[in-house]
Amino acid sequence: MLIEILQQTINGLAIGGVYVLIALGLTTVFGILGIAHFAHGSISMSGGYLTYFLVTAQGMPVLAAIPVALASGILLGLLVEMLAYRPVRNANHINAFIVALGLTMMVEGLNLQLFGHEQVVIPTGLSRVFRLGGITVPELRLYVIVAAIVLVIAMMIFVERTKTGQAIRAVAENRDAAILMGVNVRTIPLIVFGMSTALGVAAGIMVGALFAIAPGIGEGLVVKGFAVLILGGLGSFPGAILGGTVLGITESIAAGFISSAYKDVIAFVVMILVLLIRPQGLLGRAP
Amino acid sequence: MLNVRDLKVSYGGIEVVHGVSLDVAAGECVALIGANGAGKSSTLKAICGLVPASGGAISFEGRDITRASGHAIVRAGITMCPEGRQVFPQMSVIQNLRMGAYTRNDPEQEADLSRMMDMFPILRERQSQAAGKLSGGEQEMLAIARALMARPRICLFDEPSLGLAPKIVASVFETLARIKAMGMTILLVEQNSMMALGLADRAYLFEAGRIVMEGAAKDLKNHPDVMRAYLGH
Repeated sequence: MLIEILQQTINGLAIGGVYVLIALGLTTVFGILGIAHFAHGSISMSGGYLTYFLVTAQGMPVLAAIPVALASGILLGLLVEMLAYRPVRNANHINAFIVALGLTMMVEGLNLQLFGHEQVVIPTGLSRVFRLGGITVPELRLYVIVAAIVLVIAMMIFVERTKTGQAIRAVAENRDAAILMGVNVRTIPLIVFGMSTALGVAAGIMVGALFAIAPGIGEGLVVKGFAVLILGGLGSFPGAILGGTVLGITESIAAGFISSAYKDVIAFVVMILVLLIRPQGLLGRAP
Repeated sequence: MLNVRDLKVSYGGIEVVHGVSLDVAAGECVALIGANGAGKSSTLKAICGLVPASGGAISFEGRDITRASGHAIVRAGITMCPEGRQVFPQMSVIQNLRMGAYTRNDPEQEADLSRMMDMFPILRERQSQAAGKLSGGEQEMLAIARALMARPRICLFDEPSLGLAPKIVASVFETLARIKAMGMTILLVEQNSMMALGLADRAYLFEAGRIVMEGAAKDLKNHPDVMRAYLGH
């Protein structure tokens, strides 16, 4: 029983890492621009697709394809900010909401046109399995967990320890005061979109390597991402990290002990229970 | 140093500042006084680039900054300590102070940081606390210290006494007097005219978006019109 729980916890950590990366991207965009960036999942998956394409059709090694996909992701993030969201920056919030929905459909359509409707799995060639006591850990899963932890730490260092990172926080907390500090509030959204899309693409690659990418997966992931934000507490980075990890492990344990068909149901039931007890989320501030 | 000529400011087509001209010389402390809604804060916000000027010209050290963006104006040497403190509530006191030095690249930032904490010992005591947890008076001190961290050539203060208890107001003005004594050029907007005129060298009296009187602070303080209209004598 204990072994089984530990096993499912390890499994849950991998998918939890994916949720955390998606949620961190969503929460930074939401914090700075107040936009619910629904297209985030589909854009993230396009990075997974691109990695698949580079590896299978171009014969690139996975480790070479990943940086290319991340760089394209950053570029795509900048374009999305400049072309889609910047024009509605000062308009009513509903406009950005409609843009986000339209963008989701566009990117999903583009993914379908470019990469087809078949589900794809990024071939990594990583098939070793580590055994520790009674627990088995496929090496791919271990690398995904480690990569997610490294990315989260890198982002925390960027936000907490660099001037640009602090400027991002400052703009999220008080835009006018940030201007008075000399922050150029036109470049900050670009940096935020570049960063969040890079994290998203990393998550897309992880999904493509661990499970499979198919049409609709990205949209589902964005819903989970927002669920994580609410579970962890809107606007809190540690909340997003805790929320994503909790959701991943809950799903995994539910799938292992009850049924994988109900894993989403159970995950959302847990979320509702948490919100009944702590309406502000796990680490959110009480209003 | 700072020259404002015939400045007009409008919000959504409604003009609230109708052609204001004022000057601040280096080392001077100038106060803008007048009733609530007279256009003092709007004038200050236009100087900082937070709201666009709909007419007129603003120049700083001979450079036209009328259409410059807010961050460029800070880099030119103008810093504002805004109305209602506007600290970054979830960032720590020390992170707020470091944000004040955002435009600087020189190696003396850390030395300035410790100078600020010598000047405001409460900020040293609370340095790792979230700024939003400080009292109103402490937040005002933080906002002042944060503005000074930019090493501005002129510092603008927008209603520093607003919403503070009388005892705290007195200590805020003591602080402003110390900053003035350090040689800082100051442009101060205050509804508390008596306190502002006690501190300033010169003052402009605003009424309904226009300057109706200007002169040495001590003259305005004793002027019967000012006393009657704003000091309640």
